[in-house]
Amino acid sequence: MARRYDSRTTIFSPEGRLYQVEYALEAISHAGTAIGILAKDGIVLAAERKVTSKLLEQDTSAEKLYILNDNMICAVAGMTADANILINYARQAAQRYLLTYNEDIPCEQLVRRLCDLKQGYTQHGGLRPFGVSFIYAGWDPQRQFQLYLSNPSGNYGGWKATSAGANNASAQSLLKQDYKEDCTLKEACAMAVKVLSKTMDSTKLSPEKIEFATVGQTKDGKIYHRLWSADEITALLKEHDLAKDDNTEDK
Amino acid sequence: MEDDSGHLNSLARACLVSLQAEAPVRVPRRRQFKLQLPCPAIGNDENRASQRNLKLARTTAYHPSLTKQSAKMEVLLGITGKDFTIIAASKAAMRGATILKASDDKTRSLNKHTLMAFSGEAGDTVQFAEYTQANAQLYSMRNGTDLSPSALANFVRGELATSLRSRKPYNVNLLLGGVDPITHKPSLYWLDYLASLAKVPYAAHGYAQYYCLSILDKHHHPDITLHQGIKLLNLCTDELKRRLPIDFKGMTVKAVTKDGIIDIEFDDDKVVKMA
Amino acid sequence: MVGKDCVAIACDLRLGLQALTVSNNFPKIFQYGDVFLGLTGLATDVSTVSDLFRYKVNMYRLREERNIAPRTFANLVSSSLYERRFGPYFVSPVVAGLDPKTGEPFICGFDSIGCIDFAKDFIVSGTATEQLFGMCENLWEPNLGPEDLFETISQALLNAVDRDALSGWGAHVYIIEKDKVTKRLLKGRQD
Repeated sequence: MARRYDSRTTIFSPEGRLYQVEYALEAISHAGTAIGILAKDGIVLAAERKVTSKLLEQDTSAEKLYILNDNMICAVAGMTADANILINYARQAAQRYLLTYNEDIPCEQLVRRLCDLKQGYTQHGGLRPFGVSFIYAGWDPQRQFQLYLSNPSGNYGGWKATSAGANNASAQSLLKQDYKEDCTLKEACAMAVKVLSKTMDSTKLSPEKIEFATVGQTKDGKIYHRLWSADEITALLKEHDLAKDDNTEDK
Repeated sequence: MEDDSGHLNSLARACLVSLQAEAPVRVPRRRQFKLQLPCPAIGNDENRASQRNLKLARTTAYHPSLTKQSAKMEVLLGITGKDFTIIAASKAAMRGATILKASDDKTRSLNKHTLMAFSGEAGDTVQFAEYTQANAQLYSMRNGTDLSPSALANFVRGELATSLRSRKPYNVNLLLGGVDPITHKPSLYWLDYLASLAKVPYAAHGYAQYYCLSILDKHHHPDITLHQGIKLLNLCTDELKRRLPIDFKGMTVKAVTKDGIIDIEFDDDKVVKMA
Repeated sequence: MVGKDCVAIACDLRLGLQALTVSNNFPKIFQYGDVFLGLTGLATDVSTVSDLFRYKVNMYRLREERNIAPRTFANLVSSSLYERRFGPYFVSPVVAGLDPKTGEPFICGFDSIGCIDFAKDFIVSGTATEQLFGMCENLWEPNLGPEDLFETISQALLNAVDRDALSGWGAHVYIIEKDKVTKRLLKGRQD
């Protein structure tokens, strides 16, 4: 039955569904969890790294968190290879906007540019849609700190706290439970590690398994974004008693 | 020095000659820029390094003018103050030595808080201004927010810069004034047809520059009120009436404040006697 | 201008139409991470080229996840300008920075179509070129410390532009050291 309607991305099934898009969503739900939490003075993004092997080079670049622009970062859930294409596209779009208007691109516009591209693959065809969801964290002068989530269909929405990837339903309900309006960036970081520790397979976390990034504002009003180093993540985990003990660590 | 449009009256010519007499000694070297862009042919490759800095672009942010004289007779003025930007443009629509219309509006509003004034070649000006206006409005519709004056100025600069190296460049000089929708800070941008962009506290285009900038240098202050701004504008227009060889038929005056663009009543009939 | 473990780059602030000054706050030095680019020439191309390199350097930084090195940047400038061999941007750029690995000072200049001129001492460009050559030849000496270098480059620039009708109106001076960049605004003659 399905075979008649899922060979191409652009064909509706009799129930009005786009199977390829749903398969893409399914693929994402097997990827590592990514969560984002909006605080009053910043945003935190955290993501779970699925592939961990001690043979893996640890100091190479982040695998799930990317800088898009001076005012925006994003977390990826899904196929990293697909994400790379989209991230490059987003970076170029952001720089082109900067070139034209001499201003950073407003967050929602950048999200929309990416979603328009994703949407194209659900209608004009191609071989398959992009198998990635993004969580975007950014700042612009109009709407200050913002958090967005987009998926392969090209839909996006603004959120206070959201998640994507494996166990995202339970992550979402945990966030719903714990989220406090007007929480600080520090509280948001604590919430992020707590939620991650519950949704991941192991309760004890280590910096090899997660990635962390924040967007915030310095005292003199400048916006910064930062991908956290392994040491910083360890310190945060220790503080919340979620770190793996040193003696059990497999070296 | 420049292509003469041949439409000027003798007074204007006399005025021009006196201006040229004051031009710097370096003028002949700038000839290279007077070739139609894109671009002058460059000598052969040899001794490139030894020719470095000698043949090409020996200027510090400086350029010659290709604008026709009649366009230079048009008056554009801009003044910023504490919480406003005034934009004023002469009402005369000129073609050579003839005034075709005495109630021309050489301004277009780009959005709620940005106003653009233009002068230059007849067809190009309105075409370019309305093209820019359409783009600004399209942006507002698509994105639900307006572009800031600074973003618009940079957008316009980009368009002019692309046009400059095209087959038929737009010959338009602009002043772009506005108030930032978020910070409410007033700003004024000076652009010429070569797509030079400068953010300035006050500005003028055409021959008006020679008369008004010195007055504004002396009297302008960044904290002036709208009322003081208009007074300052009167000083400028009085001087223009006194010294410009043609009657520019008064000024259209508009001001941008945080509440939007407002028309300002301006006494055009005031007679100014020579001192 | 090269010093001992430091470099300096400076520009005037005038924007003019022949003898008429349009703006007296038009900086011509642009910072891209740890590298500095000075641009003289046609004002429109100063803006176009500086914006273009901001685009290219930002993309480089995002892709490579590190800042661009001065020598790499110099080659980027060169190839980008040569792309326009038969319709060049009318600018004569100057690049200054410290090598991120060795900390060695690096400066170079270009003609408008991208021929690189590496130098061990100083590079000058713009309308006051002759005056600047004279000032620099006389004032510059090897191994100047940051403070002496600041004094030297400032005196060279201010005195050169004072003898040039087409430049002046204050200056920006950047002193670049290993982990510190100092930017100073010189008032200069305002006439």
